Amino acid sequence: MNAPSAAQTAAPLVSLRGIYRSFEKDRREIPVLQDINLDVYSDEIICLVGESGCGKTTTGKIAAGLLSPSRGELRFEGRLASEYRTRSERMALRRSLQIVHQDPFASLNPTHTIGQILSFPLRRHRMVENRAGLRRRVWELLTLVDLTPPGDIVNKYPHQLSGGQRQRVSIARALTVNPRLIVADEAVSMVDVSIRIGLLKMLHELRQRFHLSIVFITHDLALAKYFAWEGRIAVMYLGRIVEIGPTPAVIGHPAHPYTKALLAAVPEADPDITRRKKQMPLRSEDIPSLTAIPAGCSFHPRCPFFQPGVCDHTVPALLPAPQTGQLVACTPLAQSGTLKPYA
Amino acid sequence: MIGTTVASPSGLIIGAICGLVPLLVGLRYGKIRAGLLAWVACLMSGFACGVLGGIPMIVLATAVVISYAYVDKQDPFTSRASLEEVNFEESNFEYFMRQMSRLGRTLRQYWRALTRNKAGFVGFLGLMFFFVMLTFGPLLVTYEGRARIDRRQPGASSLFQRPSAEFPLGLDWQGRSILSHVVYGGQRLIVTALQAGFATTLIAVTLGALAALLGGALDQVVVALANFILTVPQFPLLLVIATVARDQFKNPLFLPLLLGALDWPVLMRAVRAQVLSLRERDYIQAAMALNLGLPHVIFREVLPNLISYVVVNMIFSTRAAVYQLVGLVFLGMVPLQEPDWAVMIYMGRQQGAIFNADAISMLLSPILAIALFQLSLVLFTRSLEEIFNPRLRTGL
Ligand SMILES: Nc1ncnc2c1ncn2[C@@H]1O[C@H](COP(=O)(O)OP(=O)(O)OP(=O)(O)O)[C@@H](O)[C@H]1O
Ligand SMILES: [Mg+2]
Repeated sequence: MNAPSAAQTAAPLVSLRGIYRSFEKDRREIPVLQDINLDVYSDEIICLVGESGCGKTTTGKIAAGLLSPSRGELRFEGRLASEYRTRSERMALRRSLQIVHQDPFASLNPTHTIGQILSFPLRRHRMVENRAGLRRRVWELLTLVDLTPPGDIVNKYPHQLSGGQRQRVSIARALTVNPRLIVADEAVSMVDVSIRIGLLKMLHELRQRFHLSIVFITHDLALAKYFAWEGRIAVMYLGRIVEIGPTPAVIGHPAHPYTKALLAAVPEADPDITRRKKQMPLRSEDIPSLTAIPAGCSFHPRCPFFQPGVCDHTVPALLPAPQTGQLVACTPLAQSGTLKPYA
Repeated sequence: MIGTTVASPSGLIIGAICGLVPLLVGLRYGKIRAGLLAWVACLMSGFACGVLGGIPMIVLATAVVISYAYVDKQDPFTSRASLEEVNFEESNFEYFMRQMSRLGRTLRQYWRALTRNKAGFVGFLGLMFFFVMLTFGPLLVTYEGRARIDRRQPGASSLFQRPSAEFPLGLDWQGRSILSHVVYGGQRLIVTALQAGFATTLIAVTLGALAALLGGALDQVVVALANFILTVPQFPLLLVIATVARDQFKNPLFLPLLLGALDWPVLMRAVRAQVLSLRERDYIQAAMALNLGLPHVIFREVLPNLISYVVVNMIFSTRAAVYQLVGLVFLGMVPLQEPDWAVMIYMGRQQGAIFNADAISMLLSPILAIALFQLSLVLFTRSLEEIFNPRLRTGL
């Protein structure tokens, strides 16, 4: 497959195969995810990017085992999730997959102190031997996420902390159970820009130290580029993955027209560069509704490289891009290797 | 039971003995003032409720005294030392002290939250006034149950009398002290209303939480039932049931349960909506991801966020129950039993107190008592909000 390094040729940590997921709304089935295939290797960072509503959170929840797919299979270390039968196996699986939410105000229960929030999972899963061990572990965790001195934090309530501090508590809480994978769903998008880099650096360090895999969900390509430079990026559009590959390839040589458009829209810190950047006008600004997904390639009504009769016919498969090697789902690209502007 | 008091001299001794615990702790740690106050608190609660009041007060008062003596700085965890320097081992005694001082700090925070909201504190004082009157009043005032024809004034057409030095609230139509009826007449009314409020809340919270958490057919049945009860006019229905089920009133729990069975729908729908929204919170999902278990999720994650809402609504249900009880008595739909504020209003009207200037106290006293009690309840809810919300409680 599309494994970026030799270390990752082993069985993936988590693997999603042919995942479909729909929600019922007003007695109608709304397909939110269609045919998602995604492997997350151990020690890897993988970024999910895409517009709002394209199904990033849903994919993340399914990967974390918090939401069951309508169809398709979830494997953990090569074994189907449904094959984890005994209670202890299921508990271990549950603990291996953790999630960090976007909103630091909603992700911590306002009625508990930080110390309590960290103690609950430690006690429940007997991660510590006695009271002294519990206190030591809470201290360690708070130090790990740079909330120092821990004594100042442990008896506080979430509302007494800043957004960035709360997000650190969320991360510490996920670490209590020694997970293998953390799904960080827009984990930094609601904290101040100045604090973001610190949080991302910390996540990186924690990943290296504990050999974590991170599924990093964001709608911000610049952030994805910064955070996942050594990892991979998966670009989602209307419930499908349209391009996936090593970050330098996807960012440096985007193959899918949608990825190109996303990259063209990223503002640079330097306004001159932004102005000089090639604009890529889409044929339509409207994102189609999930209730009326266009036939064929779902991006075709907006695509500047639309080819009538080709794109609106069959759903394109994810195939290696001509030179750069990432997987891309685009029929003209697969057929002729180039894109022609729509006349 | 009703018409007597639970306050007794033996309770005073029990309270004095219970109070020795916090007092000695206070002396041991040099917190003499706190120890003495704690002793008085134990004394009073023992006096009021005997063992039931004294023993819990030992724990609470001792915790408060300890919280003055044992502060965070003594906990190695809160020092600014590094991981190697901190000694995380603590003896059972240190652990006990730490937990007690935490409880004491929380209680002091509650007290501060209680006094911060002026309206709420006034309500609290009002409720304490009624509590003291109902428990200690009987020690000072004897109940006058029999007619006192001997008190007839020469030339008077009735036994009614205006307030005087001897009878501060005057005499009723049978020449009995109205003060004694005010002092004794609240017990049954308030206890029944509290029971009704509790029954309402229990039914509403159980059904609302189950409907929201389990959903499906149960949800639909409960919501349909609630809507049905809501569409039927409440008070007329209560009257009909009270008439049909006359015999049941001998059971003292019948009336509270009946009120609860009619009052739960509004609160149930609110609780259901709250639980539905709480269920979607990220921290609930995080608890699921951490596999903390359903009991933990219900009792430690959902319920603490619901508790202030539930308690405030329990008080509103109690208030509604008082009005319904008074209404039922006033219409003569339930067996009349003295002493009772509502019966005083009923009899006052029956005996022509409305048209008798000498009898004005017979109507005004119970009406004022009921109105003040209700007002205290409503005002008190303001403070409850501050007590239960950690954001308001810890200040910031
Ligand atoms: N529990 C649910 N019930 C019904 N519809 C849902 C549910 N969860 C998600 N959806 C729908 O699925 C679609 C994708 O949602 P999802 O949260 O995965 O998008 P997203 O990419 O994370 O978007 P955002 O960037 O806004 O977070 C949305 O249209 C949303 O309305
Ligand atoms: Mg999302």
